[in-house]
Amino acid sequence: MLMEDTAEGDCLVVSLMEERLDAVIAASFKDALLERINQGQRHIVLDMAHVGFMDSSGLGAVVSILKHLGTKGWLHLYGVTPGVMAVLKLTRMDRVFKTFDSRQAALVS
Amino acid sequence: MATVLKIASNPDRLSLRSAVNYHLEVTLAKMSKDIGPEDYQLALALAIREPVIRALNDTEARVRQAGAKRIHYLSMEFLIGRLLANNLRNLGLYDVCAEAAADMGLNLTDILETEFDPALGNGGLGRLAACFLDSLASLAYPGYGYGINYQFGLFRQSFINGYQREQPDNWAVHGTPWHIERRDQSSMIPFYGRIEADLDDNAQYSPHWLDWKSLIGVPADIPVVGYGGQCVNFLRLYTARAPAEFDMGVFNEGDYLRAMEQQVAAETVSKVLYPSDSGQAGRELRFVQEYFFVACATRDIFRRHIADGHRIDEFGQYNAIQLNDTHPALAVAELMRTLIDEHAMGWDAAWAITQQSTAYTNHTLLPEALERWPTTLFERVLPRHLEIVYEINRRFLSEVATRYPHDNERIERMSIVQEGAHKEIRMAHLAIVGSHSVNGVAEMHSELVKTQLVPDFFDLWPTRFNNKTNGVTPRRWLLNCNHRLASLISNALGTGWVSNLEQLVRLEPLARDAAFVKEFLRVKLLNKTDLAKRIRDATGVTVDPSSMFDVQIKRIHEYKRQLLNALHIVHLYCRITEDSVPMLVPKTFIFSGKAAPGYLLAKLIIKLINNIARTVNADRRVGKSLRVVFYPDYKVSVAEAIVPAADLSEQISTAGYEASGTGNMKLAMNGALTIGTLDGANVEIARDVGEENIYIFGLSADEIIRRRQTGNAAREIYESNADVHRILTRLLDGTFSQEDRGLFAPIVRALLDQGDHYMHLADFVDYAAKQQQAARDFQDPQVWGARALMNVARSARFSSDRTIKEYAGDIWGLKQVV
Repeated sequence: MLMEDTAEGDCLVVSLMEERLDAVIAASFKDALLERINQGQRHIVLDMAHVGFMDSSGLGAVVSILKHLGTKGWLHLYGVTPGVMAVLKLTRMDRVFKTFDSRQAALVS
Repeated sequence: MATVLKIASNPDRLSLRSAVNYHLEVTLAKMSKDIGPEDYQLALALAIREPVIRALNDTEARVRQAGAKRIHYLSMEFLIGRLLANNLRNLGLYDVCAEAAADMGLNLTDILETEFDPALGNGGLGRLAACFLDSLASLAYPGYGYGINYQFGLFRQSFINGYQREQPDNWAVHGTPWHIERRDQSSMIPFYGRIEADLDDNAQYSPHWLDWKSLIGVPADIPVVGYGGQCVNFLRLYTARAPAEFDMGVFNEGDYLRAMEQQVAAETVSKVLYPSDSGQAGRELRFVQEYFFVACATRDIFRRHIADGHRIDEFGQYNAIQLNDTHPALAVAELMRTLIDEHAMGWDAAWAITQQSTAYTNHTLLPEALERWPTTLFERVLPRHLEIVYEINRRFLSEVATRYPHDNERIERMSIVQEGAHKEIRMAHLAIVGSHSVNGVAEMHSELVKTQLVPDFFDLWPTRFNNKTNGVTPRRWLLNCNHRLASLISNALGTGWVSNLEQLVRLEPLARDAAFVKEFLRVKLLNKTDLAKRIRDATGVTVDPSSMFDVQIKRIHEYKRQLLNALHIVHLYCRITEDSVPMLVPKTFIFSGKAAPGYLLAKLIIKLINNIARTVNADRRVGKSLRVVFYPDYKVSVAEAIVPAADLSEQISTAGYEASGTGNMKLAMNGALTIGTLDGANVEIARDVGEENIYIFGLSADEIIRRRQTGNAAREIYESNADVHRILTRLLDGTFSQEDRGLFAPIVRALLDQGDHYMHLADFVDYAAKQQQAARDFQDPQVWGARALMNVARSARFSSDRTIKEYAGDIWGLKQVV
């Protein structure tokens, strides 16, 4: 699984460099993000621009990350592709996750 | 090469030959010594595919430009038949192709015969859907079919010692140039999982559908060429694929086995039409199939609606969705889910759009054939949809309770949820509640829907119910399958009848023209000669083309009463061999049809007919006066060979059971006289062709009901009627089953001990009398020919063009896009 971390002030921008967020990588993706949260990271911007497909395991991983942050921090998504947005809408999770059109907007909101 | 790749919409024989040779050599990579008729068929299809696809694109551009409303016809089956010949006819290219083939030393008919029938349907419902697509395109309506691209359709039928044998019909293995795969428009479809309850920012219930599994629906379009070639619509069929198939990573990691397992499990969904529903797994697969194609279709319709530049709240203005029977009834819940969950619409607005766009066609009066799904299955496979169905029902029952206070029995009868130890969802109720229109498929059927099947719903919403009598496309079922008769008609009337069947009425005066009737009979004899050759090739039985061809071609079912026909043949056989009474005219009884693999009595009826055929055809006392054949593996192309050659059309279902029938229409349109009961569309055929041109017999639907109430008295008939007694005795005495005298005992038991539910014996005497009358009439060719011609002349109302115009005007609010 390929991920790139970029620090932006007190935010961490995590770019998932995979075309699919599915059962193959969901567990390791979740573990990697939980590790960052456990290390104290509270504000995470998830760059989803490379991800064209997300299944329920992938969605479950993102949901776990959000729940793990709880009220202590926030998770913003940007670069959400139509395929991933379809899944968010299908599950009504588009009303739970905050999604943004640009990295800048995700950082300043 | 460049000219080959730009074949004109009206190519000459030279460019056609050039294109065919190009595709043989380059596309199919065939060396000249290896080329067979099937290769020519593929190459010709590839050659004309080009102008077809251009017309398909042009049609889509016109529809989009016009901002036109579209109709989407959702059906579990599309029995489309062979495509090449029909497309050539509709494009007006048939004759030039025949000339080009002749130039190459080939016979176009032989080439066309090599095409495999797409096995995408079972019976009348699927064929109706195909006729509707032809009419939609021929009338330039923006109308599209949505279904499943079954790898194995209904089974291939053969006979082993007279028993039906079922083998997989792997029709797709031969490949078809007509599929246009649209991978870029694939859809991800979720199943299973659970609902996690949550509240949104406004403290409203906000469920999340989590932990689902998914399938990918990959669409392939089959172009539907309208007559004249100007309008080309499409039939969009979905194949189920595992998401893993798209994941090269799984393969690259070396986990081939897991990837393959996922793929095989997923592909099962589009593997077979009607998996056996006797077990839990089969029932679940069927349910998954229904949701799979409904969900794929819904996503596609929304995608196109948005691409057309329309707003979501305009969905009902621009889209109509017709549910062909209850199989796609999940569309009601899926539309609601899409509007509410994916487009954040409020319930009332979503419900208004769902009802505005959806309409339901009922196809059956048999309560046991109305689909019901256990709520346990529903909840496991589609948890979010079940929530929505419950909410639809809660609101609906509240409306019922307001209208009929304190009538709890009515509420129980009308509820979408059938209560009890095993709760079930009544799909017909869901379809009725979610639609703005509910139609039956023949006048009589539509009345019975209102008065017997769902009278409570009719009482609540009388204006929602209407009739749309079925029809058949005259392109496939006259122009293409009976080119001799088509030419005769065109020579007399011109070709306008092909797109306006009402012109056939101008044939009526010609029924009094002896020369024309003689020519009409000559055409029929040639068609019968062609069929006789096919029968010899398929069954080994030699039949006399001058004998009366008495035809019963349809699914084998007790209510369709192939058994009544068989009992009558036994009667005729006994008259010849025991009473020395010769036949009035030589007769050839032709059966064709499949029995459902699990329907044992229907399969025994097939065995009985085959055994009768074996006995009768081998008996020298019968000579050539009586022949019986069971043509194997009934399908569209078999029907296209039999229909033009029929003299007498058997439409003998127990009154009140056949919704409409369409075989009755095809056969009348091709100049067969009907012998039938007052059932389904027979009633309307009788009214249109005139009672002097049809043989109506038997109990009416009302009489059947009354007789059931007072006792059918089948055994009394058996004991009092010597003919009936003798027939049933012969079924038991080994005349037709020397190897096992008890073989047909279950059939006799069904008639005598189990009440003869379908009234074979009650209708037998009248049936035999009408058969006798038909035989007498057949003795005078001029009289018979004139009556047969009157059937053709008065068949206009049974064109699916008429039916589609009624749907378009009354239900869909659709406009032609020319």
